[in-house]
Amino acid sequence: MALPPGPLVYSHYHCLSPGHYHRPSTGTPQEEAAITTATATEPAVELAGITKRFPGVVANRDIDLHVAKGQIHALVGENGAGKSTLMKILYGMQRPDEGEIRINGSPVAFHTPADAIAAGIGMVHQHFMLADNLTVLENVILGSEPRKGGVAVDFGAARKKIKEISDAYGLGITPDVAVEELGVGDRQRVEILKVLYRGARILILDEPTAVLVPHEVDELFDNLRGLVREGLTILFISHKLDEVLRVADAITVIRRGTTVATVNPQDVTARQLAELMVGSELPSPETRESTVTEVVAFSVRDLTVRTADGRAIVEGVSFDIHKGEVLGIAGVEGNGQAELVEAIMGMRPLASGSLTLNGRDITGWPTLKRREGGIGYIPEDRHRHGLLLEAPLWENRILGHQTRRPNVKGIWIDRAGAREDTRRIVEEYDVRTPGIDVDAAALSGGNQQKLIVGREMSSDPLLLIASHPTRGVDVGAQAAIWDHLRTARAAGLAVLLISADLDELIGLSDSLKVILRGRIVADVDPAEVTPEQLGSAMTGAGEGA
Amino acid sequence: MSTFLDRLFGRVKLGGWLAVVAPLLAVVFAVLITSGVLLVAGKPPLDAFTALAHYVVQPSGAVLIINFATQYYISALAVAIGFRMNLFNIGVDGQYRLAAVVAAGVGGAALLPGVLNIILVMVVAVLVAALWAAIAGLLKVTRGVSEVISTIMLNAIATGIGSWLVIRYLGVRSGNELATKEIPPDSRVPGLSVIPGTSAQVTGFIVLAAIFGVAYYVLLNRTRFGFDLRATGRSESAAVASGVNVKRMVVTTMVLSGAIAGFAGMPELLGGSYKYGTNFPTGLGFTGIAIALLGRNNPVGMAIGALVWSFLDNSKNSLQLVDISPEIVQIMQGTIVLSVIVAYELVHRYAQAAKQRRVSRELAVPSQPEGAAA
Amino acid sequence: MAAAACGGSDSPTTASTGGASSAPAAASVKVGLAYDIGGRGDGSFNDAAAAGLDKAVSELKVDKKELEATQGETDAQKEERLRLLASGGFNPVIAVGFAYSAAVTKVAAEFPDIKFAIVDDGAKGANITNLLFAEEQGSFLVGVAAALKSQKGNVGFVGGVDVPLIHKFEAGFVAGAKAAKPDIKIQKKYLTQPPDFSGFGDPAKGKTAAQGMFDAGADVVYQAAGGSGAGVFEAAKAAGGMAIGVDSDQAALPAYADDKDVIITSMLKKVDVAVFDFLKNFAAGTVKAGPAIYDLKAGGVDYSTTGGKIDDIKSKIDEYKQKIISGEITVPSS
Repeated sequence: MALPPGPLVYSHYHCLSPGHYHRPSTGTPQEEAAITTATATEPAVELAGITKRFPGVVANRDIDLHVAKGQIHALVGENGAGKSTLMKILYGMQRPDEGEIRINGSPVAFHTPADAIAAGIGMVHQHFMLADNLTVLENVILGSEPRKGGVAVDFGAARKKIKEISDAYGLGITPDVAVEELGVGDRQRVEILKVLYRGARILILDEPTAVLVPHEVDELFDNLRGLVREGLTILFISHKLDEVLRVADAITVIRRGTTVATVNPQDVTARQLAELMVGSELPSPETRESTVTEVVAFSVRDLTVRTADGRAIVEGVSFDIHKGEVLGIAGVEGNGQAELVEAIMGMRPLASGSLTLNGRDITGWPTLKRREGGIGYIPEDRHRHGLLLEAPLWENRILGHQTRRPNVKGIWIDRAGAREDTRRIVEEYDVRTPGIDVDAAALSGGNQQKLIVGREMSSDPLLLIASHPTRGVDVGAQAAIWDHLRTARAAGLAVLLISADLDELIGLSDSLKVILRGRIVADVDPAEVTPEQLGSAMTGAGEGA
Repeated sequence: MSTFLDRLFGRVKLGGWLAVVAPLLAVVFAVLITSGVLLVAGKPPLDAFTALAHYVVQPSGAVLIINFATQYYISALAVAIGFRMNLFNIGVDGQYRLAAVVAAGVGGAALLPGVLNIILVMVVAVLVAALWAAIAGLLKVTRGVSEVISTIMLNAIATGIGSWLVIRYLGVRSGNELATKEIPPDSRVPGLSVIPGTSAQVTGFIVLAAIFGVAYYVLLNRTRFGFDLRATGRSESAAVASGVNVKRMVVTTMVLSGAIAGFAGMPELLGGSYKYGTNFPTGLGFTGIAIALLGRNNPVGMAIGALVWSFLDNSKNSLQLVDISPEIVQIMQGTIVLSVIVAYELVHRYAQAAKQRRVSRELAVPSQPEGAAA
Repeated sequence: MAAAACGGSDSPTTASTGGASSAPAAASVKVGLAYDIGGRGDGSFNDAAAAGLDKAVSELKVDKKELEATQGETDAQKEERLRLLASGGFNPVIAVGFAYSAAVTKVAAEFPDIKFAIVDDGAKGANITNLLFAEEQGSFLVGVAAALKSQKGNVGFVGGVDVPLIHKFEAGFVAGAKAAKPDIKIQKKYLTQPPDFSGFGDPAKGKTAAQGMFDAGADVVYQAAGGSGAGVFEAAKAAGGMAIGVDSDQAALPAYADDKDVIITSMLKKVDVAVFDFLKNFAAGTVKAGPAIYDLKAGGVDYSTTGGKIDDIKSKIDEYKQKIISGEITVPSS
């Protein structure tokens, strides 16, 4: 492609209010040169200023995306960055509150996926939507059967059309095989064929490689290149950066609900891309003064967690956290962090290993006893694990602390006590809410998180497990949460910090460990490391270096 | 966000006046539908509603309505306690019937005198029903068997065991009636002559039902156990993370639900026919499900629901007196349940949309300067 | 006890079948009738009662009011139904089915001036007339027919619900079959156990049970299963076997028109006659409390010959009929 190198496109950094924890959005001069805009003459899909709000959270904000015709355009971002919401909007499953969608230059408004299909957009879902006991042919035509004389299904015509499509794009699909006999890669090709059959010219692939083994990924990429050669446009959603760099013609990075850059894959490294994904704002270094003591508050020895099928998802993990220490665990998501946390919380059985809290062996303790014993927990997914969304704030104050004062007296819930203490948390942690009787769902993500932090701190824990404590919260709340963590640390709290935000990790941690495929692969000194170095250690690239 | 089921089972509260609007809408809707059906059938709707209204003011009719409502209410409480934590105890029906058979056998044997026998009968009923329900709970936590499936099957098994017990061991034949031995007169729960103008008495169990209603409320809303139960119902994942032992909660709640179900047959056994026979009421458990839905698991709502249901069930006869088919009552009952569900859903969506608009408005304001700063 | 009263010939009154209505027309008579589950239109027992009532309406010019029962009712609800009729000025009040036993006893005591009748039950009361049938006698005759018609020497009995009333049908049928063919094999099956009364209204259950019997070598099956009987007929048709109906002359009923070829005879239980008799006596002021037994002698039970399938053995059956009437044969009732 003969494209002029464009300027660094941090197009939406200005949307974030410049708190003192954020540096202005600049990279090094070298990076600026490397990161170029990828534009094309003829856009197939254009999104301009797309904003989508849900009660309590803004899922997408001012999204701008230009996908050139006949290209593979990758959309990368962390889990929860807003990729799936964006795709749902583009596929007509949700309607944006603001902004414009243009397909092949003309504005459209999709009310249902049917509208999107009619406009030539096809979606290949991450989880296949095929009926196992039907043949490929039947699966493909399901819902859009060609009719013979208005009644009978014209299988002959369908078979012919499927063969044509399969040959034209080199998919190699046999129409009359039952889907249950097909492998994962074949099934995916059937899914692709299904959308092509419905006349799609723009394909959305949601994390298509998540279910594939490496050689299947190669085959898929060959297929995708074949499709774009024939003039189709592909929007490829992923968070696997190496794959994206291999296959994409252009890459747009989405972070915290907004598009932050569009880059040319030839000009960026995986590391730079990772930085864009997680953000490279560095907390001010002067806030770091060690409060680490000699006393070990919590130690993990040889912890192994296995999945139901016996695979080790966390393997032989050991570490100590001292009082007043923040131990950060860095790693690309899905490398065992969530399972490690759940094992420590007693929500997931250990295959082997031991846990010691304040000198007591807690390995055999149930979750409740661990919590009573002094573990506070800020869960990764606050909606699933941290809150009762449809319950008022004061009842959420009780959650996880339903055996302790001031929430209970004996077997009775102490409403007055719980309410009083909820008011205290709202006050001290600056939870913006009309009152303590509103449902948790009504609060914004940041305020929900502040409530959780306040709750978990309120019982003076020995150990706080903070899993992505500032994910999806606004900048003000992020700063406040960081402050609270620092204050608690100074008071002797041991913190296990898990985050995908490298700057948060580096800025808050007293020591850092890198987790890769369930194992601790590196110890890093947060005072020395740069996000780039940490990023490459996380992907395993730094292992040899 | 809340699921449809959450809203269906009242785990999501509707604030203030909206909570009143929904059932009102439902009743109005049910009356309209029923009127339509009556008109199509060529019967004047007014006659039907007059006949229904006329029945309720008859003293003996009122007593019957109250007595049935009492049984329905106890059954509904048993169902509701499961609903509150996402447990579908479809087995209340089998639980109370099996409990009643065994308790009737024990009571008829008159092992203890007087009041002691009453207590024995109730204890036996509670134990049998609770154990029967526990089977479904244990199957769920140990083998992952859906309690819906297991309780339905246990209902069928309970029917079989009940018949077998009556036929083989407990039954006494008199004419075509095959029933357990009657509980002796000194071990019967007396009725209350509170409605003037009839010799029919309101069942003494109404007191117990009222106590249960209050206890249900207190247990769920004022105790740790109730908090854990509701938390599990609202979000199992959050409950697990908070330290609730969900498996234990499942078994405990099933047992509790079963224990209450054990009482559902007691008004009839100890205050009605004093025996378990061919005319023992069946289907109270399923009626309980309908009433729990109607009352959205709220103790007061279910009491009203039980009275409405019982009123409709028992006023069928008076409809026939004015030559209207009693099936119209079933249409009405079905429509009420359906329209209550629809009405709650509509009202919930309205409230939800209002909330969403408000939040959007609030969010829109601060984002303005951010955009302007660009 | 009803069973004892039915069995013997020492019954207090033996009803006489009504001839032409010679009784004075009683326009002021308002009859209240409470059906068992199924109500008017069940093609069986309730319909027979309805037919008697209709006849009374046209011949005796009485007014009527009919109320239906529903599944799973308690005694209290049945009482309330009778009470509603009694307090609504209906006299006499007829309760159809033994399920009303306890209810009629209680309500009759509350309304001593009103005459009550109950079908199939021996409930006692100064103002209760029991309309009882010697089902075992009629069943004996169809048992004879079954045994004589069976070529395989293997017949079946399908009872709706395992209750004493149906045991009478079974006992008579077994006795009749054995009397005609001592070495005959008899299969017996009850569809449900009380308190599950669905066996009286579930054709699918009847079909399964009868199919099993035909598969096991039976070629004639007698059903005393109310609404479930339709399933028995279906099974007979499918298996190329024969079936025997109950209560009404089912081969002549339009509801069973498709099955009439397999229905060789039906055990007739003339509830209509009993109901009409009772109303006629009421109009004439000659109602007596206590059991009125409708047996072979009184024409209360019988067998049907519609379709002419048992014409060849009719004389033999009639021999047994005479022996029962004369008391030479005493049919067991349980």
